[in-house]
Amino acid sequence: MSKETMIRTISGKRTFKQSLKLAFKQRYLYLLLLPTLVSVFVFSYCCMPGVLMAFQDYSIYKGLWGSEWVGFDNIAAIFRQSKFTGAIWNTFYTSVMCIITGFPAPIILALMLHELRNKAFKRVVQTISYLPHFLSWISVVGLVYMIFSTEGIINNVMSWFGAKEPFRFLASQTVFQWFVILIPLWKGLGWSTIIHLANLTSINPELYEAAEVDGANYMQKLRHITIPHMLPTCMILLIFQMGSLFSSNFELVYGLKNPYINFDVISTVVYETGIQAGNYHMSTAIGFVQGLVALLLVLGTNWLSKKVSGTGIW
Amino acid sequence: MRRRRSISRRCFDGFNVFFMWIIIVLMLFPYLNVLAKALNDGADSARGGILFWPRVFTWDNFATVITAEGFGQAFFISVARVVCSVVLTIIVQFMCAYVFTYKELVGRSGILLYLMIPGYFGGGLIPQYILYSNIGLLNNFLCYVIPGMFSMYNMIIIRTYMNSLPLGLKEAAKIDGASEIKILFRIVMPLCKPIMATIALWVAVGDWNDWTTTMYFFTRKYDHLFPLSYLLQQVLKETERIQQMIQDALRSGQDISQFQEMNITTEAVRCAQIIVTTIPIIATYPFLQKYFIHGVTLGAVKD
Repeated sequence: MSKETMIRTISGKRTFKQSLKLAFKQRYLYLLLLPTLVSVFVFSYCCMPGVLMAFQDYSIYKGLWGSEWVGFDNIAAIFRQSKFTGAIWNTFYTSVMCIITGFPAPIILALMLHELRNKAFKRVVQTISYLPHFLSWISVVGLVYMIFSTEGIINNVMSWFGAKEPFRFLASQTVFQWFVILIPLWKGLGWSTIIHLANLTSINPELYEAAEVDGANYMQKLRHITIPHMLPTCMILLIFQMGSLFSSNFELVYGLKNPYINFDVISTVVYETGIQAGNYHMSTAIGFVQGLVALLLVLGTNWLSKKVSGTGIW
Repeated sequence: MRRRRSISRRCFDGFNVFFMWIIIVLMLFPYLNVLAKALNDGADSARGGILFWPRVFTWDNFATVITAEGFGQAFFISVARVVCSVVLTIIVQFMCAYVFTYKELVGRSGILLYLMIPGYFGGGLIPQYILYSNIGLLNNFLCYVIPGMFSMYNMIIIRTYMNSLPLGLKEAAKIDGASEIKILFRIVMPLCKPIMATIALWVAVGDWNDWTTTMYFFTRKYDHLFPLSYLLQQVLKETERIQQMIQDALRSGQDISQFQEMNITTEAVRCAQIIVTTIPIIATYPFLQKYFIHGVTLGAVKD
């Protein structure tokens, strides 16, 4: 080995020839990777050219390479149709509301759980609060149907208090808009506390003891010890949630929707125009716009978070 | 000796416990209410007022669900897809995670990038649909199993766990001349049982609960491949489905008298359907929760 290559190897850089040699030695490792590489290639990369459909007047008979190109016509058409713009607005509004309710709620619940003195009771509350997480969205929709139906318990209780007519919750547009915000909160609340609770228990108790000696009260300890400790994780969770600002909960909205409700989100429109109506290029175009915006949002929030708090995913 | 707690602190504790009881009721009540209704006589339920406990106890609703046409088949499909997916994902993801524990792998960062890009940029539903139809996955059982076998998130969690294992064993085996594949299956995987349980349970729950795959990629003609979760969706959306079928029949000029005899499932039977679909998970998760949680806290570790 010459002096130069030795220095390179020590500094962690390999020559091309060395890399090849090493790669040959590691051939079994590549064999282990093979199924992953192939499946990702087939199921993710082979779909990617399909995005081009968004810029075509796609026809199944001509295929992706034979169809006519229309430039940005489809994308422009999205913003002309009230059905699509309505869905985009609904998705955005719902997601923002979901973040506003769903981001602080688990933090508060975790702080309160952490303060419980009876540890057995704490465990019971935690276990029960996980229950909705394990239900599928369609079962959750089922529960909502059963509880809020005209024969359901909510209407029963209302009649005990003198309501004459059963209220049709499931056919009410306003109630529906609340459902799509509050049901995800209900489903995710308990499960989301796990990370925060793990974080809370990892705080060194000596810090609290020292603060108590200095005469700090609960709020001061919260402000100067607990919150700074929890902040990095919270920021990362927020970045992830920002990425989903334009993604919508298809299972919930589609499951809960019925002929009385006129409420669409992006994913239900994608399904209805694409698979049900067979309008492939419009469906792909709206999906493409959504993906693009989501990507920009993640990058943007990550950049902002790095500037402000020094934490980011990358 | 414990210091006496201040009055404000005791007030807070009291309120805290009260608040937790509200949480318990909120989380548990919908499920218990539906369970009670499922165990109650259908005609009696219509009178209303069932809270936590059935008034006229009966197993009839469950009997109706279980003896319904297609239930056994759907149950079998649900179980089969869960078993197949769990086995396949565990093998594939462990192999992948194991490779990434090698820091000196040639082309490591490039391969990682290759695996990460699809997380941020994908074709969407329609290209996926066209791809599936081209490779024959539409209306095919494999559609439940194969596309989901790799998940970046799970892979990272497994790798994080593997990195925390003592590596002495691996080195010793290597000196004894064991191949990488042997090391993975004989030494590393047995040590990874806790994380294996976590991933297996996650995949199992996700698969058991999934109904959109069926809705996107299966047609009504192939209803012998429908899982339980999709059966539930059909029961819940039954009225709309029947309307749709009548419209289809009218359009193709068929006789619609057959639809007049179809009766709508009663609310009690729907409740029973919800319970039957969810009970395998709800009855077991309290005992397995430490495995589920294990992965969440592991996933939060940044490296």
